Amino acid sequence: MNDVHGAVLSQSAAVADCRFPKPFDNGLEFNAPVHGTWNIVHIGYEIPGAHQIYICADNCMRGVVMTAAEMGELARFSGVVLEEDDMVFAGRIEQTTIEGVSDVLRSLDSLPPAAIIFPVCAHKFMGCDMEYVYRCLEERFPKVKFVRAFMDPIMQKRGTSPDVRLRRAMLDIIDEQPVNPLAVNVAGCDVSMAEDNDIRKLLADSGCIVREMCCCSSFEDYMNMGQGRLNICCYPAGVPGVKNFSGRFGRDYIWLPFVFDYGKTQTGLELLAAKLGKSFAEDKEAMKNDVESAFAAAEKVIMDTEIALDYTAVARPLSLGRFLIEHRFNLTKIYLDVIDTDEEEDFRWLQANAPGLVISSTVDISGRVLRRDNAGCLAIGQKAAWFEGTAHFVNIVEGGGLYGYSGMIRFAGLMEEALLEEKDTRDIVPRKGLGCASLI
Amino acid sequence: MRKSYVRIPVYTGDVSGFASALYELGGMLVIHDPSGCNSTYNTHDEVRWYDKESLIFISGLNDIDAITGNDDKLINDTVSAAKRLNPRFIALANSPIPYLNGTDFEGICRIIENRTGLPCFYVKTNAMHDYTVGASGAYLAFAKKFLKAGPDPDRGNIEAKASGANGKQLKRVNIIGVTPLDYTSTTIDVSGRYDVISNWSYGTDFDSIMRSPEADLNIVMSSCGLAVAKYMEKTFGIPYQTGNSYLELPRGKSRNYIVGEPVTSGIIARKIKLEYGMDFNIVATTEITDGLLSEVDDACHGEDMIKEKIADGVRIIADPLYRVIAPPTAEFIELPHFALSGRLYLKRIPNLFNLEEYYHES
Repeated sequence: MNDVHGAVLSQSAAVADCRFPKPFDNGLEFNAPVHGTWNIVHIGYEIPGAHQIYICADNCMRGVVMTAAEMGELARFSGVVLEEDDMVFAGRIEQTTIEGVSDVLRSLDSLPPAAIIFPVCAHKFMGCDMEYVYRCLEERFPKVKFVRAFMDPIMQKRGTSPDVRLRRAMLDIIDEQPVNPLAVNVAGCDVSMAEDNDIRKLLADSGCIVREMCCCSSFEDYMNMGQGRLNICCYPAGVPGVKNFSGRFGRDYIWLPFVFDYGKTQTGLELLAAKLGKSFAEDKEAMKNDVESAFAAAEKVIMDTEIALDYTAVARPLSLGRFLIEHRFNLTKIYLDVIDTDEEEDFRWLQANAPGLVISSTVDISGRVLRRDNAGCLAIGQKAAWFEGTAHFVNIVEGGGLYGYSGMIRFAGLMEEALLEEKDTRDIVPRKGLGCASLI
Repeated sequence: MRKSYVRIPVYTGDVSGFASALYELGGMLVIHDPSGCNSTYNTHDEVRWYDKESLIFISGLNDIDAITGNDDKLINDTVSAAKRLNPRFIALANSPIPYLNGTDFEGICRIIENRTGLPCFYVKTNAMHDYTVGASGAYLAFAKKFLKAGPDPDRGNIEAKASGANGKQLKRVNIIGVTPLDYTSTTIDVSGRYDVISNWSYGTDFDSIMRSPEADLNIVMSSCGLAVAKYMEKTFGIPYQTGNSYLELPRGKSRNYIVGEPVTSGIIARKIKLEYGMDFNIVATTEITDGLLSEVDDACHGEDMIKEKIADGVRIIADPLYRVIAPPTAEFIELPHFALSGRLYLKRIPNLFNLEEYYHES
């Protein structure tokens, strides 16, 4: 691939030549101006009424506070800045954290039901005694639930990432309540289930009271997730938290990722039905035929248009890639930086059946200087759209709330629509947190 | 508490200031940071990222490399990237964890220079200061590394100077401290009074900046440019002027306040004084203020201090995000500042090089 200067630079490789699960070496990193994915600020606001407090250096604060500002949520956001003295004197970082958080809470018009506390990398490297910090805060503010989050991107590559930890911490404040046999929670993902989502339909048909963590109506409603008899997670970053939450109260748990695979989709829906005490009575062949018809219709429109997809659009990009190639679409490139180990089977299939498919890094430095002039390309995901320089893209993150047979049908429609209608890429992709309020 | 920001955001940080100042000069800028600095910068602190190429990257520092002091990864990755991208120079910036570790950036720069043959310099940031500190440090480090006091056959040679409309010889100037963090326009209206040698550093390039020692005068357009102007005065004998020389026009004590960066605030205060005879006092809320304020002005840092200072305000000119801490009785005149409110009011930021536009709309 050529950069704008004509040199060969790109960190891309044919899938046949890629390593698993990390196709590329780590080096200096580029950040594309594409921000539709949710960050910890967006996720934290899923707790109704919660106030977020970050304790960090100016430059680190800037990104999160402006996320809140662009959402119009500054009233539920505060910061405590760390300075050099906090890095030098023993005990100072604890003092600053405790007094800073206390000052913030006392300055609010009323105490929030929950405060999400974000210490940072420096707290870890200073050996800050966060247990002591929380003991003090809980003594001072006994009516406030303290969500023990972290903004420690230094752990991004090797440990639990901040967003995974946050999803777990947000569930940790929920107390156990007597089981409501009709109550089911969908947690750990940030995009609400689409109206025709197969999970939603199955739950509705079963008469369930469904609470989605990402859109509870009030703090009380959020805390009532403690009544759930079953917890469903559809997004990988939510799994550790939802598993832990289920285990704490001995409640049932099911992992239902959106995959482009008939067998796994059918198994998932049957398993869910069984947990609800039902059998999954839908005619799977008929549903499969509906999906096939939808993609056949899309293919008639899309024909041999070049397609590129990225990991931000769906949690299982290789599953989608395989499905598209099996259905004769001209998928040429997948943008990702690491492969989910659950996708190894799809990865091996692509190596064997589409060896020339290009895997391309989204953070490699070449991303800054590559030509982005593939305007005829159909992109799936915002990053693919930006890298290819196209106005034709499927604009979703985290799977867009889709699931199951209905999800696949809807997805075929989104591809068709993306090809037929141009989007304003310049305006859309720099906005943060697709689906959140954006005041810019 | 001085360190808490309950209702207002912090200003753009020093790391972003570093990047903004050097954005257009053809270098490769490396922020030694795990993650976040680059995203924060390009999302909230940089209007050029989508459309204009600049080689700004993070190192992607992880916990093990930080704990074990594995500087080799930063060095090797930087050398490798430089070989791939062939920048004109390399500049490194720091963040909290390498700062805490006492990473030897000067030494790292020497190694990188030896291995790449490219100029490499370090800008002292640690993410704990605002953009003025980072940009100021970047300008100064750049000047020390690159500007040379070569022979200046033209200085004082009136024949060599460009002529204005009336045939009068123009003074050659450097405009210093212009980044998108304080200015939205690159159209510098000097009304035929000056021959602009260089613009530090928006809508500019490396070569024009390198001509800076040819200038007769440096005009400091924000506090970001003060340190390098002083350096050029000492090194090349070029005097400097602060903004529109706002400090030379006496202003009386007043309960009218302009809240923000001191030089841009001073430029406006002078203009208002001349046009309307009204006194506005500067409440300087960014870090570099030495020599930039008169006796009626104040430096205030942190939400509590700013709130207290403007509590008796009659008229307040400030970024809209300050409205929540301004007294409700004051007349609040919005002056969006990109380094505070970022993209929120981008389309409403006036061109400070053409203040008439702002007055007419206000």
